[in-house]
Amino acid sequence: MTFEQIVFYFFSGVLVLAAVVVVTVRNPVKAALALVLAFFSAAGLWILLEAEFLAIVLVLVYVGAVMVLFLFVVMMLDINIAELREGFGDYLPIGGIVAALMVVEMAIILGPRRFGLAKVPVPQAHGATFSNTRMLGDLLYTTYVYPFEIAAAILLVAIIAAIALTMRRRPETKYQNPAEQVRVQRSDRLRIIRMPSEKKG
Amino acid sequence: MISLSQYLILGAILFALGVVGIFLNRKNVVILLMAIELMLLAVNMNFVAFSSYLNDPAGQIFVFFILTVAAAESAIGLAILIVLFRNRSTINVEDLDTLKG
Amino acid sequence: MIAAWFSLWGSLPGWSRILLLNLSKIVAITIPLMLSVAYLTFAERKIIGYMQARIGPNRVGPAGWLQPIADALKLLMKEIIIPTGANKALFVIAPVLSIAPALVAWAVIPFTNHLVLANVNAGLLFAMAITSMGVYGVVIAGWASNSKYAFLGSLRSAAQIVAYEIAMGFALVGVVMASGTLNLRHIVLHQQGTGFWDWYFLPLFPLFLVYFISGVAETNRLPFDVAEGESEIVAGFHVEYSGMAFAVFFLAEYANMILVSALTTVLFLGGWLPPVAVIPFTWVPPLAWFLIKVSTMLFFFIWFRATFPRYRYDQIMRLGWKVLIPITLVWIGVIGTVRFFTPWGYLFH
Repeated sequence: MTFEQIVFYFFSGVLVLAAVVVVTVRNPVKAALALVLAFFSAAGLWILLEAEFLAIVLVLVYVGAVMVLFLFVVMMLDINIAELREGFGDYLPIGGIVAALMVVEMAIILGPRRFGLAKVPVPQAHGATFSNTRMLGDLLYTTYVYPFEIAAAILLVAIIAAIALTMRRRPETKYQNPAEQVRVQRSDRLRIIRMPSEKKG
Repeated sequence: MISLSQYLILGAILFALGVVGIFLNRKNVVILLMAIELMLLAVNMNFVAFSSYLNDPAGQIFVFFILTVAAAESAIGLAILIVLFRNRSTINVEDLDTLKG
Repeated sequence: MIAAWFSLWGSLPGWSRILLLNLSKIVAITIPLMLSVAYLTFAERKIIGYMQARIGPNRVGPAGWLQPIADALKLLMKEIIIPTGANKALFVIAPVLSIAPALVAWAVIPFTNHLVLANVNAGLLFAMAITSMGVYGVVIAGWASNSKYAFLGSLRSAAQIVAYEIAMGFALVGVVMASGTLNLRHIVLHQQGTGFWDWYFLPLFPLFLVYFISGVAETNRLPFDVAEGESEIVAGFHVEYSGMAFAVFFLAEYANMILVSALTTVLFLGGWLPPVAVIPFTWVPPLAWFLIKVSTMLFFFIWFRATFPRYRYDQIMRLGWKVLIPITLVWIGVIGTVRFFTPWGYLFH
């Protein structure tokens, strides 16, 4: 086995194991953590494929932000796991059969006969000076500039939608307004009343 | 040497696991979202593998856009989940059977 | 004797030689780093002591110089208590997850022009991606402890780190726009000129400030240490940790401080370059300049801690989202406009 093969089998083994944990584990927090592991190993495989930029972006965006969001939500929600796990295995037979069929069918099509080394040779490795990031950047800002702008707009819409959905003003919450507090004059708070002193009875 | 078909079969296994996840956890919205992420990862894996073996950067560009859209999707999905939990105090898919919010 | 070693070296297979060479390089970075972490804690206690008109630790060894060793010994001897309701595996993994990114990111930091473990083309992205993983240690620690205070601390930390990472990323976009490369070594070489007026901290001054403030927030240091907040949530995410497990969190915090200082030095303060490129300054070795700059930034960290009271949680969020991010966005616009539409583009070379 060459070094590359060891790396490939190690990372893909971890990836598949982590994916199994994601779909079977009891606790959603553990599922989220397993998904983090899955993304991380996928990033390792992408580096093996010389797609450094996407591998790093996967770690940066998914592991660093999206999964933190997932964990945050899963931890905050007070979920009754037992109720959600009810009838967990009911659909396992049919689900398992469907999944196994899918894997078998795809393996027949994607097997070494059509996509093996004889048909698709291993690509020439790029030199040390080659920058995957620069190549993607050159393409993104020229050929794909309109899709890029649309992607930016989608992200903006997503930000606004997420905030608009979850934002709420609770009527019972009390806020301080420092400006108002600073502007207060004596006359706003204090009222001097003239009162005759009491007479001794 | 690793062949393209090895990467593609890995992608197929991942995708199938995502499908199993949807079958198994059909009540828990959070894990359903995670299973979708898993399936998207499988698709991305295929794109990157093809892009690398066919020496065509378009595949990587596509992955870039998928990542963008998937990030937006999970952010909005989680926001909806939070609103749902606030109003109904459950994330069980079976309890979400009214059209009224 | 030496000849025997060389013949042994020559008889090893090629891959193991590469492995051993890289391992020794990693050890050569990690051990001085851990030592400087130990003495950073000592420096912090001394400096804050003098700032508050007291002496600081001075009993262990000459003038207190053995204090960090004594601290480490004490923590090593203590028992690691795992709470009853805790998730044992995650409880143990959490400290490891928090220190690992702080050490891994050093792989791409260029100490001098030739002294760098891995000269990666996307080094800046790599450093960002790795540091963004540090949050998991905190989040997992808080959740696995099964304690309210720890949990509150970890949630605060997660929200805070994600928020400040955006500001940090935008600040780095400015640096990338100015230098046109993601390679940390080339970023420093782009700042080479006649002196400190060529470094990026002058043309990118707002980004420099934003980056450093976000760095302070990312490392959960005062005045942004609501994740620990000992006066409100006891000690935040590491309240249930004791002995060496706690020490690892402690080491991670200080290693992260040094990392942020080193990154600030590389990105904005010209890395190993001398402040003025004339004779007496160029005699000083480049590594010394690098270390001097990193120490200066570390002094700022400690100075902040001695000076500012802790922010309230909502104030932290407001600062991150409503002040730092808009500043970076505006300055990125300024850089772009000035570079491409005005004759003053050379300012942002």
